[in-house]
Amino acid sequence: MVFSTPYFLFLYFCAVLLFYYITPLKLRNLVLLILNLIFYGWGEPVYILIMFASIGIDYTHGMLVTRCKAKGNLRGAKMAVASSVIFNLALLFFFKYWDFIAGTLEGFGLHFMPKLGLSLPIGISFYTFQTMSYTIDVYRGDARSQKNIITFGTFVTLFPQLIAGPIIKYKDLDDQLEHRVHTVDKFASGVQRFTVGLSKKVLLANAIGPLWDNYLATPAAELTTVGAWLGILAFSFQLYFDFSGYSDMAIGLGRMLGFEFLENFNYPYLSKSATEFWRRWHISLGSWFREYLYFPLGGSRVKKGRMIFNLLVVWAATGIWHGASWNFLLWGLFYFVCLVVEKLFLLKHIQKLPGWLSHIYALFLVLIGWTIFAVEDLGHMGEYFKAMFGMGAGFINSDTVYYLMNYLPILIIAVVASTPLAKNLWHKLPETARKVVLPVCLMLGLVMSTAYLVDGTYNPFLYFRF
Amino acid sequence: MKDNNSNKKYNLFITVLFCVFIFGFGIALLIHMANPTDFSEQENRYLQQAPKFKLGTPDWKGFTEGRDFWKGGNFFSGEFMSDFEEFVTDQFPLRDEWIQLKALGERVLQKKENNGVYYGTDGKTLFAKYTDPSDEELRKRVGYMNTLGVNLIDAGVPVFFSLVPDKSYVWADLLPDNAPNVDTGAMNEAAKELTSNAYYFDLYNALDGADSYYRTDHHWTVMGAKRAYDSLMEQFMIPNPAEPEGEPQMVSDAFYGTTWSSCGAGWIPPDEMHIWVPEGGPHGTISVTGYPEGKPIETPMYNLDKLQVKDKYAMYLGGNQPLCVLRNSEGRGKLLVVRDSYSDSLAPFLALQFQEVHLWDLRYNNMSLKQYVQDNGIQYVLVLYSASNFSTDINLSKLTR
Repeated sequence: MVFSTPYFLFLYFCAVLLFYYITPLKLRNLVLLILNLIFYGWGEPVYILIMFASIGIDYTHGMLVTRCKAKGNLRGAKMAVASSVIFNLALLFFFKYWDFIAGTLEGFGLHFMPKLGLSLPIGISFYTFQTMSYTIDVYRGDARSQKNIITFGTFVTLFPQLIAGPIIKYKDLDDQLEHRVHTVDKFASGVQRFTVGLSKKVLLANAIGPLWDNYLATPAAELTTVGAWLGILAFSFQLYFDFSGYSDMAIGLGRMLGFEFLENFNYPYLSKSATEFWRRWHISLGSWFREYLYFPLGGSRVKKGRMIFNLLVVWAATGIWHGASWNFLLWGLFYFVCLVVEKLFLLKHIQKLPGWLSHIYALFLVLIGWTIFAVEDLGHMGEYFKAMFGMGAGFINSDTVYYLMNYLPILIIAVVASTPLAKNLWHKLPETARKVVLPVCLMLGLVMSTAYLVDGTYNPFLYFRF
Repeated sequence: MKDNNSNKKYNLFITVLFCVFIFGFGIALLIHMANPTDFSEQENRYLQQAPKFKLGTPDWKGFTEGRDFWKGGNFFSGEFMSDFEEFVTDQFPLRDEWIQLKALGERVLQKKENNGVYYGTDGKTLFAKYTDPSDEELRKRVGYMNTLGVNLIDAGVPVFFSLVPDKSYVWADLLPDNAPNVDTGAMNEAAKELTSNAYYFDLYNALDGADSYYRTDHHWTVMGAKRAYDSLMEQFMIPNPAEPEGEPQMVSDAFYGTTWSSCGAGWIPPDEMHIWVPEGGPHGTISVTGYPEGKPIETPMYNLDKLQVKDKYAMYLGGNQPLCVLRNSEGRGKLLVVRDSYSDSLAPFLALQFQEVHLWDLRYNNMSLKQYVQDNGIQYVLVLYSASNFSTDINLSKLTR
């Protein structure tokens, strides 16, 4: 199930609120677990079994780690963590990468791995990472193992962030799982956050998306320079508003149920370097890789050569995490190169540049990155790059003029919405004005989003590959 | 403390506001789902009804052979759930108003189109997007015309072929600047070039006029059809063709066409509908035989009952059917028109001139055209298709049988 449908908002979520709040505190995790499973099983009921397996296996491993540690058996604890990591990675590998590898091997004439054609369980990349963090945190002593399997199951399946993040570490949530505070203030702030997220997804991302779809489908022979840049700009906005909108909705829904999740985006398009971009974009993923992969490899506190190797591993993994396809790996490696170059010498110089110039530099890299990310077919990607750099079908044509004019107002709104301008203005308003404007904006966001959802001609879910 | 309290009250207000919105519409939705709407007049389509839950039966053999384990079910395949979501969206309370609100939102954003429909610059004309077929596809399709021409040579029957320009060609000045998906006339030129064993009639310059098409529908009006009739008669080289007497008579001023239906632009006023040739012709000599179920029945030229429903264009000859014959005892010659829906409002004019006009619909008619032509003494065959239908109709290949 995804958030941006009338079914979710007006039936499922109403039912969630109703059942959740009429249940006594003690039983709320159980109710939530059941509702989570319905949420997950809605699209593909059989895959609920993965949820049960995930809960059962990670629960047991957590207990094992604790028991071994209590007995002073560090070796045993280590084995248990390793086994849990292997299980989670195997799950991810089997469903997400099997066919990709099988296809690649076929290309070399090797046929020992048959293609399975299984559909990718929604959100698998997000929740396998979350459950992996659990046993590791328990082993490191950052979290206590969860003895109550219902509570643990609620963590694994928690619907607001199950399918599109933020990726939540167990240690950030364990207290909240057992004692969370439900207040009207929290609920109201959740309402605001959810509405912002819904509007971002439905009113901005869905409005800009077709512009990118159009340019992705434009044959290379008709792709102009302006068109290619316009297309990738549209994709950049679509992905940002879609993804950060989902995170906002998750945070908002979480608050309405008493949870507090960490932030996932911080105006990434304001960045002045690739390094900064990754501190602002999909923060929970970057932080996960840093904590559970980069640091264990030694991080930056090693010799330069080893550090570069560590970065290579992390960025290759980050890339391929986004989808089982070569372009995602390439995209990760692109950022590896950018970040190494910045880390070794460029960053010092960039920081001396005037702000607008470093801003252009960063956005240029980000747009190049999104081109690699968004055009899956490598041949097509090459053609697209050619068009971007003036080797396409001319500079501009009448179709491009039309699309530019048609999407200009929404693009301007998107630019403004990518900056904290609205937020700053909001805080400058006097308190009384804010109190009047807030409900008006909320209703406007909810009503217009509903209108666009009911018409519903264009409403994609972008993370089926994640 | 007091401040805290008032904050709490305010947040309670926000909470209640949100809950009233989602629960209010949620409950209204449930009530509506219990008594769902069948057909959307505005969208001119059947709405999704409640899907029937089917678990299916376990099928081990199928499973081992790579098919679904739950044979005949719709639950484990996820089909039930996706149908259910569509059911919810389709039956959402005030659906038509929501769709119009979305169209309004797109308008506020200065969008020049919504749901594949361009807004004309005059603020009241709608254009469905149009795409030319590929060169290869066009070659194939015109090839069918040429094959038909060859096939009918031994019967001594000439084949004429003509495309009706898309509204976006004739009213190009009303389109948004640089709009990409429009009829530029390129297909007309290419088709003219490629037609070798049939005679190509060019209608692309015949339809100029501010009343040739409906503003809210893709079809031509009776006035447009008359201009096409005049041009066809000229290209047939018929001297002094028969003329309808009098002026067009308005029969409805509340026609919302299919283009309007797909874009929800509630602020666009409806079209007027006219008839020009009176029922039975000016001298009462025209009769119409329809074959809606395959058997001949006498039908009126204009089915005025259709003016009471959404799809008012079906008034002309009663809408789509495999075959329809108009006979005029005063006319001369027998013409067969391979039709699409544009021909229905043209046929009354053709019936003024010809003794028999046979409207042949490839979509519903699988008989041999050649056999029919010979059996009925047809003298001319005209393939008349709108540019858009000619690019997309998969039944054209039947002409070569």
